[in-house]
Amino acid sequence: MMAIAMFIAVCVVLLLGYPVALTLAGVALWFALFGTTLGLIDASELLAFPSRLFGIMSNQTLVAVPLFVLMGVVLEKAKLAEDLLDAMAALAGRLRGGLGVSVVLVGALLAASTGIVGATVVTMGLLSLPTMLKRGYSPAVASGTIAAAGTLGQIIPPSIVLVLLGDVLSSAYQQAQLAQGIFSLQTVSVGDLFVGALIPGVVLVSAYIVYIMVLAALKPETMPAPPADECPRGSELWLQLARGMAPPLMLIVAVLGSIMLGYATPTEAAAVGACGALLLAALRGQLNRAALQSAGEQCAKITSMVFLIFIGASLFSMVFNAYGGDEHVHDMLTALPGGAFGAMICVMVLMFLLGFILDFIEITFVVVPIVGPVLLQLGLDPVWLGVMMAINLQTSFLTPPFGFALFYLRGVAPPELTTPQLYRGVVPFIAIQVGMLILLALWPALATWLPSVVY
Amino acid sequence: MALLHGLERVNRLLFVLAAWACLIMAVLGFAIVIARYGFSVGSIAAQELVMYLHAFVLLCAAATTLACDGHVRVDIFYSRWPSQRRALVNLAGSLLLLMPVMLFILVISWEYVAQAWARHETSAEAGGLAWVYLLKSLILLFAVQMLLQGVLQAMRAWTEWRLQSEQGG
Repeated sequence: MMAIAMFIAVCVVLLLGYPVALTLAGVALWFALFGTTLGLIDASELLAFPSRLFGIMSNQTLVAVPLFVLMGVVLEKAKLAEDLLDAMAALAGRLRGGLGVSVVLVGALLAASTGIVGATVVTMGLLSLPTMLKRGYSPAVASGTIAAAGTLGQIIPPSIVLVLLGDVLSSAYQQAQLAQGIFSLQTVSVGDLFVGALIPGVVLVSAYIVYIMVLAALKPETMPAPPADECPRGSELWLQLARGMAPPLMLIVAVLGSIMLGYATPTEAAAVGACGALLLAALRGQLNRAALQSAGEQCAKITSMVFLIFIGASLFSMVFNAYGGDEHVHDMLTALPGGAFGAMICVMVLMFLLGFILDFIEITFVVVPIVGPVLLQLGLDPVWLGVMMAINLQTSFLTPPFGFALFYLRGVAPPELTTPQLYRGVVPFIAIQVGMLILLALWPALATWLPSVVY
Repeated sequence: MALLHGLERVNRLLFVLAAWACLIMAVLGFAIVIARYGFSVGSIAAQELVMYLHAFVLLCAAATTLACDGHVRVDIFYSRWPSQRRALVNLAGSLLLLMPVMLFILVISWEYVAQAWARHETSAEAGGLAWVYLLKSLILLFAVQMLLQGVLQAMRAWTEWRLQSEQGG
């Protein structure tokens, strides 16, 4: 009972807007104080907190986080995303809907290296919305495409949230197996999740592109082709491609490829990716001492933000479990009709709703450690579960009226873009997302097949 | 007051060091990959050094990140509120959430870190670094940094709140 009260209290206090990490830890601490005073819980359980903290500090997998963040920050600061978008749009040329397709691809490749939905959507919005509107795209189509593309990068490796989710799922998986009395532990790694998310990610990107192409064919007035003389041709086109598209593509392929072929761990690949990005920026003459320091500061800021949430969420889940919250959740989920299926639906709906107020990172640290072990004990595959959660949350961020992505896009959009237009534009993408979730539910192999082949 | 601001500059200095630590991590990580795959040389010490830098970044950059409002908020309502109410949220949050949490971390980790010092704790791995007690001490540094910054943030919020209520009333 107290555990549920604590969860609700945290949600209420979060809405006041004080930083999430400190709210999680603070509310948990007050509940712990209350519980120990009344003798409801044993304070000695909290003595394990310093070693939990040390576990976070010395976690080798999570070292990949600042490195991927650095890669993303450097790529962004070096304006590589802009050039990539220009190059793609040039390649798509006079194709109807070409610019829309380019935006989707850029979003998939570069957008979410930091894992913060708001930041990515704002970047994508500033980058592409003015161009799309200038080219005569209908505001609904343009904004829907950008919101969807901006959240897409979250589930396409390499992304920070997949690193975090992979780490949390791997400890949940161990816990689940120990609880079942299995001691020859199977493991799931961040690399597994990266590889598992690849096919669903590609399917989603393709579905987005098909939708845009079909719409362009059926309703050409919503996305006119650019005039012929604005399109570079011949050597000019090739030059732009070589400059804008080749470097970031090579970087992404190198990072992903080395992980997939088993040459490097995600942490190693992240270090290579970060250095590669620095090298690209240096080749473009954009790397002086000030730029280096500002990239480093940005990276330090995001890293400490992510990990402070992890620290706050750890204290929260310790107190939550001291109140028997984990057993409550276990009993509740296993008592649902429909076994694993019922429990899964319940968790997905809960996460979808939480996605209206919490970002991916918070949900990964707060909710997944609580529900993950239960779901995995019911026999669900950890990679499949991770991919389902990721796509589910991404859908949540897109869904009106509370979706994160819509809020932030609204913030950077020109006033002539009305909110109903934004909602109308995003609906087809939500339909695609839901379709993807159903496909994955019917054929889990979409997520689990590739990791089984690669490793 | 001057002391507090001096200490805030220390926080800021540690933040800049953390920024460079991010870059060093990347370069060192890259060097480790080259050494391992190019020359089949592995170094536990180098790997642990990356981990030390990582721990330094995630703990010691937090205070300045707080000062520049870099920690995410649920801002559905917060972003629309007048600055007087925001100041109130920050004042109450600093006093009731941040400061108790950091005091708790400081108190509960003290013994944990002291034990590491008493044993002069070294890495559990052969060839690892011998400074685990220093690594663990970062927890205390983090808590102290955050406490100081919390006091400053609370004072700023208080000033802001006073200013706004005078203007409003």
